Amino acid sequence: MSTILNKSSLNFLLQHPWQLALAIVGIALGVAVVISIDLAMESSLTAFDQAGKAFSGTATHRIIASEGGLDEKLYTQLRVGQGIKKLSPVVSGYVQLAKQTNNSFKLIGIDPFIEKSFKPVWQQEQSKNQRAALLARLVVEPNTVLISDKTARSLHLKINDEFTIVSDSGKQDLKIIGFLQANNAISEQVLAKLIITDIATAQEVLGLFGRLSSIEVLMDNYEPETLTKILKLLPGSALFVSVDSQSQSMREMTRAFSINLKALGLLSLLVGMFLIYNTMTFLVMQRRRLIGCLRSIGITRRQIFKLIIGEAFLLAIIGTLIGIALGIALGQSLLYMVSETINAIYFRVDATSLIIRPAQIGKGVFLGIAATLVAVLPPAWEATRFPPATVLIRSGLESSTRQLVSGAKLTGFILIAGGLALALSSAQSVSWGLAGIFIIVFGFALLTPAFTLGLVQMTDKLFGRFLGIAGRLPVRTISSEISRTGIAVAALMIAVSATIGMELMIGSLRQTVTEWVQASLAADLYVTLPGEKIIGGRAIEEHQLKKRLADLPDVQMLSSALHTKLIANDEFTKVSVFELNPQSRKGFIFKDKVNDDLWDRFEQQQTVMVTEPYAYYHAIRIGQEILLQTDKGKQPFEVIAVYADYSGDQGHLSMSRQNYQRYWPDLGYSGIGVYARKHTDLKQLENQLYKLLTGQQSVKSDKDIYKASMEVFEQTFTVTETLRWLSAAVAFVGVLSTLMALQFERTRQLGILRAIGLTRRQLTFLVIGETGLMGLIAGLFAIPVGYVVAYVLIFVVYERSFGWTMAFHFDPMVVYQGLALAFIAAVLAGIFPALKMARIKPAEALRIE
Amino acid sequence: MQAEAAIIITELSKSYHESGLRHDIFKELNLSVNRGEFIVLLGRSGSGKSTFLNLISGIDCPDKGKIIINNTNITGLSEHDRTLFRRHHIGFVFQSYNLIPTLTVAENLLLPLELIRRITQKERDNVTELLAKLNLADRLDSYPDRLSGGEQQRVAIARALIHDPDVILADEPTGNLDLDTGQQVLELLDILVRKAGKTMIMVTHSQEVIGKADRVFSIKNKSLVIS
Repeated sequence: MSTILNKSSLNFLLQHPWQLALAIVGIALGVAVVISIDLAMESSLTAFDQAGKAFSGTATHRIIASEGGLDEKLYTQLRVGQGIKKLSPVVSGYVQLAKQTNNSFKLIGIDPFIEKSFKPVWQQEQSKNQRAALLARLVVEPNTVLISDKTARSLHLKINDEFTIVSDSGKQDLKIIGFLQANNAISEQVLAKLIITDIATAQEVLGLFGRLSSIEVLMDNYEPETLTKILKLLPGSALFVSVDSQSQSMREMTRAFSINLKALGLLSLLVGMFLIYNTMTFLVMQRRRLIGCLRSIGITRRQIFKLIIGEAFLLAIIGTLIGIALGIALGQSLLYMVSETINAIYFRVDATSLIIRPAQIGKGVFLGIAATLVAVLPPAWEATRFPPATVLIRSGLESSTRQLVSGAKLTGFILIAGGLALALSSAQSVSWGLAGIFIIVFGFALLTPAFTLGLVQMTDKLFGRFLGIAGRLPVRTISSEISRTGIAVAALMIAVSATIGMELMIGSLRQTVTEWVQASLAADLYVTLPGEKIIGGRAIEEHQLKKRLADLPDVQMLSSALHTKLIANDEFTKVSVFELNPQSRKGFIFKDKVNDDLWDRFEQQQTVMVTEPYAYYHAIRIGQEILLQTDKGKQPFEVIAVYADYSGDQGHLSMSRQNYQRYWPDLGYSGIGVYARKHTDLKQLENQLYKLLTGQQSVKSDKDIYKASMEVFEQTFTVTETLRWLSAAVAFVGVLSTLMALQFERTRQLGILRAIGLTRRQLTFLVIGETGLMGLIAGLFAIPVGYVVAYVLIFVVYERSFGWTMAFHFDPMVVYQGLALAFIAAVLAGIFPALKMARIKPAEALRIE
Repeated sequence: MQAEAAIIITELSKSYHESGLRHDIFKELNLSVNRGEFIVLLGRSGSGKSTFLNLISGIDCPDKGKIIINNTNITGLSEHDRTLFRRHHIGFVFQSYNLIPTLTVAENLLLPLELIRRITQKERDNVTELLAKLNLADRLDSYPDRLSGGEQQRVAIARALIHDPDVILADEPTGNLDLDTGQQVLELLDILVRKAGKTMIMVTHSQEVIGKADRVFSIKNKSLVIS
């Protein structure tokens, strides 16, 4: 490629700094959103994996138990009785700093003298002597711990300093005897949220006397003998799992959430692609005369094509690099939101900073460059079609565009139908459901120019009647420049329809969840009994407490729940064990018609009810049986009902306490519902209850629980909201870019208007009128598109992602807001070009060719 | 009796800056144009003829000097007032027609009127009549890019006259046209402008036009000289 030709191309780009900057911003924002989501999501999950590795090290398998953990005797039996050496007992739980209750740490109790081949992260950087000395002190001195030097510095603590932590069992002072040193950024992050101590201290702090959270097992190869010995001694409440499969199943849990987030990122990139396409089309069209001249002096079509692609490649590299930097910054902010959402609906993760891997950056680079090149292919192809030395008139180009509009319309209808078919017929796949939405939205985007033309033809007469010929100008410009205004309207329409669609979906879910929470909260007050549920003392205390509550004169009746885990069909499954009364039974919203004898069967027969997500994921129907692991072997429980539950997407089972007590040990209660007698002063009753409680136990009213539940609900959508606004921001840049390009191209025309007497103010209104109209068109079209998006999200994507069904709740406010968003964004985007154009002197404008 | 001056230009100077250096286009020009007079302006490319017309129309500002049109010193007006003045009193014919591509022929003609006042049915009829006179009766609803160069320039002349301005400024109106079409356009200007008693300043190289002008000036060495 000729250097002079390249120079001419570069000079042209530099002469249009605004278009150049906006194209780069478009690419950068698209890449940034995709990268940030990927980084935040992966960092959260890596933090989870790495936290596990911090104490499991090279362990290949793990013995885990449900609520209450494992009896520590099992460890002794395996190690001493069976001679299995490569075992590492672990007690773990979460504690908070007494002075900073929002700052929580994972407290891990380990056996300091375990097999060295486990190589846990916390041991790696200690010298041999130092390690031996510290480990000895951990065992010998009570309440001694190791924390990371980074954490110690941030808390202004030194070696031998004491600090107070709070757990479900109360407060405890711990003494720092050494620091954990990290050997890389990932382990530094993991260690920053850990407190390492010995087993005895951990058991005391967490109230897990005589219990272990897990036993880590290291099997270098397949060791059938070891396996047999372990399985022989495994109690009914425990599972022997591979570390990798456990980590994989945790990741699997968040898969739907991750796909939904990534889809939002891709939406931003799609909007960004429209922007790049538009900008590059503008840059090509503006050079049609130049390209014609170049062709006349012997530059081939191939060279022109390469020139345009080369420009796009340059913009892609710059935009992508900026996008990656922005993505890392944005990812850090998203990390908190993503972790909080995973915490709220899946499992606990402690991600404090981003973990950046070259592969993720590579993915961003590939997406940025590929998306730009795909978006630039049509204008680059168009550039090669310019005949040599011919000045193409705009109307000629626009008339060929109008033919394209008809073709696009047809393609649009086909894509919408295809997208709907794909979304509805793709079984349980979340990815295909989302792909269906993308195709549908893209189909509607292709219809946008035709819709825009139709609408401006209608408004032409209306505007002409009320605003005269000057009023017709914005309408006519939109119509005559449809090749670019259509794309800008489409980009804005996509962003706004996504907003409307997601807002309708969130609104529907909010409404459904509100009704569900309100129905579920049948009691007047709820006593929360936190802490690990273990057999023995604490369970007995909880029974006594329940008795005392029942004896209170203002208490009419009680209900209770124990949330635990049992092994159902060979995997740990959350189970709610209920003692229900007639009032609390009304709180269940059943998904199918149930028989009158439901509650009798629930209490008296070997039956369970399952939540809707559980039924969805496990393809369970009423009448089927679920095998639950007990100390007496596997026992079948018949499913007698499926009920609504929006507390998580993995689903759980419910059984009566009577049924539970038949096979499993008494673990006390997780919560007790208190039903007051009529005309009782609830505040007074709450005070009476408080007097009966100890430690971390608390009382909450139904209103408090409702408020807290809805806060969690809103929090889980924070990240979605943020991403939605980001894609709207990309669309805003797209509209701004298009309008700038359009106005700059019309500089001469605007100069003529000024020459024949249009004032600056009139010119400003003219330009803003045009952009506002584009915004209104985008907003109007976004309403039906948003409605379709909401429909597919509710009935396809969310049902597949979370197993929830919900009623479509149509809120007209969402539509008004979407319309206002499109209009305001477009008007705002028009202000700058309008002011800039109004400032240009007519004489200068008239000189511009 | 002395003829009334429609345009009085006093000590008009204009320069531009390039690479930090000032270049004078013209310095201290003086000119008085009588009402109904037809002035032709000659000069080499880049001598500042178009700039001179831009200054008179108020779409550009001089560095120094005064331009008084119909007793109004337009150099003393704000940008907004200059625009309003231009709207009422000036008609501009450009070399490259400069019609608004998104408006039909009729709308292009009605726009200057609409900027001044609400258009009456009589004015709409006038537009139709005027276009018929220009042999463009059948192009009323056509868009400019469907018209030939000559047709476009005829529409541009009609637009410059539609609001009955006092002063017509024409910047090489035949520059983009062939000889015959140019001839027709000049005849039209002669009929519609001169015979209507309007004041006109035209930049042109046409010898025929020069022959019809009341006075002919050239911009030479940054000054206005009688040719």
